Amino acid sequence: MSTDLRRARKRQMIIFLLVCCGMVTLLARLYYWQILRGQQLARYASEEHLQNQVLNAPRGVIYDAHGHLLATNVVRDDVYVEPVQFATDHQYSENRESELALLIHMLHEVLPEVSEDKLYRIFNTNLQTYRIAGPISPQQSQQLHQLHVQDVFLEPHPVRIYPGGDLAAQVLGYVTFDGKGLYGIEGQYDALLAGKPGNFTAETDLNGNPLTVGVSSGQPALNGANLTLTVDSNVQYMVQEALADMVKRVQASSGTVIVMDAHSGAIVAMAGVPSFDPNRYWAYSDQMGCLGDESVYFNPALYCAYEPGSTMKAVTMAAALDQGLITPNTTLNDPGYINFHDGTPTVTNWSREAYGTETMTQVLEHSANVGAAYVAYNILGPQRYYPYLERFGFAQISQIAGPEATGSYRSNTSSGWTPSDLARQAFGQSILATPLQMALAYQTIANGGVMMRPYIVAVVNDNGRVMTTQPQVKQRVISAETARLLTDMLVSAANYNKQATFPGYSVAVKTGTATTQGLPIDQTEASMAGFVPASNPRFVILVKIDRPQTTIYGSTAAGPLWRSIAQQLMLYYNVPPDLPSSLESTN
Amino acid sequence: MSSLKDRNITLQKAESRPIRATKRRRQLHLFFFSLGPVALCSISVLLIALMAILYVSQVGQAVASNQKIQQMHAQQMQLQRQNQDLQNSIATEQSPEYIANQAKQQGLVPADANTVQMLVVPHLHRIAQPDENVQP
Repeated sequence: MSTDLRRARKRQMIIFLLVCCGMVTLLARLYYWQILRGQQLARYASEEHLQNQVLNAPRGVIYDAHGHLLATNVVRDDVYVEPVQFATDHQYSENRESELALLIHMLHEVLPEVSEDKLYRIFNTNLQTYRIAGPISPQQSQQLHQLHVQDVFLEPHPVRIYPGGDLAAQVLGYVTFDGKGLYGIEGQYDALLAGKPGNFTAETDLNGNPLTVGVSSGQPALNGANLTLTVDSNVQYMVQEALADMVKRVQASSGTVIVMDAHSGAIVAMAGVPSFDPNRYWAYSDQMGCLGDESVYFNPALYCAYEPGSTMKAVTMAAALDQGLITPNTTLNDPGYINFHDGTPTVTNWSREAYGTETMTQVLEHSANVGAAYVAYNILGPQRYYPYLERFGFAQISQIAGPEATGSYRSNTSSGWTPSDLARQAFGQSILATPLQMALAYQTIANGGVMMRPYIVAVVNDNGRVMTTQPQVKQRVISAETARLLTDMLVSAANYNKQATFPGYSVAVKTGTATTQGLPIDQTEASMAGFVPASNPRFVILVKIDRPQTTIYGSTAAGPLWRSIAQQLMLYYNVPPDLPSSLESTN
Repeated sequence: MSSLKDRNITLQKAESRPIRATKRRRQLHLFFFSLGPVALCSISVLLIALMAILYVSQVGQAVASNQKIQQMHAQQMQLQRQNQDLQNSIATEQSPEYIANQAKQQGLVPADANTVQMLVVPHLHRIAQPDENVQP
């Protein structure tokens, strides 16, 4: 082989190797861009012309029993300013200060709650955007639109509105700015009401607007379910107003009322004082309800457990009557106190009043602690008493609308129980019950001994899928005969005291004046529970007034309110009288 | 055996074949017409231009439609917002508190339940179901 040929071969080999190196380099770069960074670059490219929007699901609305809106949604605007943009736009302007002053003056005219000083401070920051107010009213939005001011923009967003203001506020709860339901129905049914957000991905034009005719994909938002409650707005308003008035009149610290359908267990009204306006819930963050123990947002009918006092005597009588251990005419001697042989502290009547020989009906009429303790301690005993407390639903939650206390009592199987607990529980001490639990106990008596499961949501409409709540029997607690006898005893108690009776209707009620250990005897929880009309019960009503000052008794603090509510209910629902009225008797 | 004259004719034919083939290549037949390269190029350019115009027209229509859809969407949102505001206004004015306040402003006072007598008339039957759609 000649020298030239060898050189040529060598050159070819070098060129070949160089080409190979080049190819390897190119392949390496190709691997880097296409394999290692391919997905990331593809995503960057997509983001340039694809837009992904989250579609908010409209929150479900809440209606009352007549279909009136209790909670709905509206769109309101937040106001934002752009300090940096303003500075850039007016960088070379000689009139910058005067233009800023004019802008701030115009904003302050429309938004008087934002001071001019605050606006000056905001415009002198280096922030891209700053939210100065919101949500603002539709009129303010319109005024700002008409101003056509630069460097100010409105951002619309959905807002939960309660058209009735504080109507049934503690039943409903509220929704926070970020759309989360808290307390009441809003909290309990948050997942159902909130719905499911959707999304929409589409190509965009130069302005970033989605091209709906281009390539698009997405999932539609699933609207929240609409709820219809059993609450009647008119009754709720009447009850709320009457309760607020009574709490003010007797200078009480708080109060609660429950109105329940006697046969179905549906809640017709549920009110608490003090309450709050869910449209401005943040303004009540430091206010307390339920004797100053809990936040005002809690529903006191469900959360404010108390010692029910003498209203509990009906339950004690029910247990003894149902087991055939007493009749309404069984007698006992009541000297005003009762001693126990095992060292249990002596139980006395209120003011140690002695009634002598009295029947069981008279025990309820006199609201005698001695009689109730005698029945529980000497006749029933723990083995026959506590099963009835359990069947009446004490220390059990109902889960009807938001946070709820369970209440508590010590039974003979609990640690620390003493016979003193049994004697005192008979007349409503040493036991904590919620107002709803007490109302349910009276609902059981009114409904012939059958306890219904309480409910407040009547209909759930989940995007066309309608679920209607049917009244549901929880259990039979006492026999129908026991319920009838006890009703007669409660009617006698009502007629004896007369605080709850009114012309034309028979009522069955029991008062309660509960004192709390460690507090002065005049710091009571005055209550009244019962149903009307007694002959064919339609409504169970429980009234509880906490720490009334001008009068401390259940009969005088809660009684007038109970009667007023019962009377209004009979008129509102056109319930025919079951007694000869005064007009008929005069004829 | 062919004659010398025949062989010459055969050779002439063989020499003329490439010239005809070239001519055939230069004159392509598009459908029924014979087109030269210049005409073919012109037609191609025209077709491409036509397609471009069609494409631009389509894109223009799509953009116009998109703008219209966006306007309608914005209008729909605005109407939804107004509808929600109206529903809220109706609900507010139907609320018991509003009605009670309006009644008080007009000088009405709450009825005293003690003064109301409800009479039960026995053996009465409802005559007819009132038509809920007919306003009194």
